[in-house]
Amino acid sequence: MDSESKLINLTIDGTEVSVPEGTTILKAAERLGIVIPRYCWHPGLSAPAQCRMCLVEVEGWPKPQPACVQQVQDGMVVNTDCVEARKARRGVIEFLLLNHPLDCPICDAAGQCMLQDYAHETGQLRRRAVEAKVVLGRDHVTPEIVYFADRCILCTRCVRFMDEIAQEPVLQVINRGHKGYIDTMTDELFEHPFSMNIVDVCPVGALVNEDFLFKARSWDLDQTASICPGCSQGCNVALGTKENRVVRLKPRFNPEVNSYWMCDHGRREVVRWGAGMRAEVPLVREAERLVPADWARALDATVEALRGVEGGAKAIVDPGASNESLYIVRRLMDQVGFDGGSFRVSSGPQQVLKGFPKLALREDRAANASGAEALGYGRVDDIYGAVRSHRGVLFVLEEGLDDAPEDFADGSALFVYIGSVLSPAARKADIVLPSPSFAEMDGTFTNFEGRVQRFTQGLRPPGLARPIWMSGSVVLARLGGGEPFTSAAAAFAALAEEFTAFSGLSYEKIGLTGAVSAAAESGATAS
Amino acid sequence: MAIGVKKVDRPEVGASYLRATLKGMALTFKHLVRPVTVAQQYPEEKYELAPRMRGTHRMAVHEDGRAKCVACGLCPTICPANCIKLIPAEDENGERYAAVYEIDEFRCIFCGYCQEVCPVEAIHLGVHYEAAEYSRERFVYDLERLCAQDHPFTQLWDPEDPASE
Repeated sequence: MDSESKLINLTIDGTEVSVPEGTTILKAAERLGIVIPRYCWHPGLSAPAQCRMCLVEVEGWPKPQPACVQQVQDGMVVNTDCVEARKARRGVIEFLLLNHPLDCPICDAAGQCMLQDYAHETGQLRRRAVEAKVVLGRDHVTPEIVYFADRCILCTRCVRFMDEIAQEPVLQVINRGHKGYIDTMTDELFEHPFSMNIVDVCPVGALVNEDFLFKARSWDLDQTASICPGCSQGCNVALGTKENRVVRLKPRFNPEVNSYWMCDHGRREVVRWGAGMRAEVPLVREAERLVPADWARALDATVEALRGVEGGAKAIVDPGASNESLYIVRRLMDQVGFDGGSFRVSSGPQQVLKGFPKLALREDRAANASGAEALGYGRVDDIYGAVRSHRGVLFVLEEGLDDAPEDFADGSALFVYIGSVLSPAARKADIVLPSPSFAEMDGTFTNFEGRVQRFTQGLRPPGLARPIWMSGSVVLARLGGGEPFTSAAAAFAALAEEFTAFSGLSYEKIGLTGAVSAAAESGATAS
Repeated sequence: MAIGVKKVDRPEVGASYLRATLKGMALTFKHLVRPVTVAQQYPEEKYELAPRMRGTHRMAVHEDGRAKCVACGLCPTICPANCIKLIPAEDENGERYAAVYEIDEFRCIFCGYCQEVCPVEAIHLGVHYEAAEYSRERFVYDLERLCAQDHPFTQLWDPEDPASE
């Protein structure tokens, strides 16, 4: 906040507050914890003051004022919950509900719908209109987004998102009054890499994602703070989970990374998670066969095998693995002689969100390539070439090995596979340590600009899968590397001590919005 | 005796039971010639049940036989016994419908909340109590069975005055 700007004193609902000049009544009220009902106002968009839902009474003024655009003035006395304001709101809701189908039972937004909330709060009990409702039907606006015209309240949040943030003004309000609806000017559907944000900004259930349509009720979902693993941007997201499955991703506000937005690519990735044959129990090779073992035996076997081995250690890691996992593998490799680790990153075209250029779908389509680099792994194109002539230990962390050549690990004395998916190539391992997938554990990712961000566990891991910071640190301890870690936070603390890219950071400091380590920050400013 | 044992005077050995026997036989004879009909000949005769009796469920159907359920998920949400399983899906007309709708009648406590909460008056309790089955699995009623039930709907409120005004 600008310290030079003048402070204005006003009274809202009997409480005095001072805010800088130019603040709107709505923002000033929020400081007092008073939420003025609104539809068209969204914190990330401009305020057209067209829904008229935020009308409040200003004492001495002839008419109620829209709080979302009316700036504060000295000595103003604002009432947000008086008879006049409530009457104005009730009138607005009555108009909005004139042609609303009231199909809450089958609407995806039920339970998170602002129209539902405010109609309950201030609306009338009964409909006074006797005319039949106008029925407009539904249509696609993009191949993945369905528009229910009857539910729409024409707040134009979606229109303004496309205008101001996506800067591709394709949506318009067509017609006026009760015939009004949102559509593109042409008959064609539009496509935009950030189009699904219009579903998020929609305050009612007019714009819904077809992937999620009818899948779950909003109150059935558990929300978990997480990070989108789709690219190196590291958008802050909330996982909506139901019955141990992720059914929805919603952006979580973080002004430094993604504001209120995220790209469609990340949301589409959700359905791919947890696919494939999961590794559920530790496997140990005995007489040429992989046999299931309990953790005690698997860890014994790992310690035993690592003790006698020679020839150093190489690793193939996945840049989607967490910093903690990468760190433990690095430490394991150090125990037998670090001989280089490599990873590959799938890439795609970069797509910047024009209205918020900090956010882009990055070229690196993996969450933690920066973290892997900071921990000493090298980015290569051919991950198998580097290990072909290797004679020592080979660690593979999370890498799917989908295109692995038959003999890529034949030369290595010991092949340890640590991961959540058991591909045919992973079955060639001597020891398989099952680990949870990304949504099933705690951890951190480092995004493209060195920002370390935490994700938290939203799902139960299958079978006996355990995070590698847990199982791997037991092996480390027995090989003489100190105490096993008792939490992901402890693993991160050890990591922060050892690697400068993470120095000074801890889970507490990172919080749920992320932090950049002092070392990384000074390095960034120097370069 | 601190706990107050009552001492019963037993009849002495050799006392006559004749008087008591005759008294009993007289009562038997009375019922023989003039029977009192309190016993009900179940199952030939059935109870007349109150319209508000809350028994096993029944799903209302449209004229074409489709269940009225729109799969809104309110009944599994409100169910205190957690006995309703619902998986919604989209049908060929783009409408929401219940792909799976099962009620476990063993778990059900017949509170009637599901009927009360239903926005489309689809799921109802029924005036029905004869739910015996040969296997436990048969007590999980699926949608087909719920639709096929034909006993009367329970009336949780007076149809003349639904809002109790």
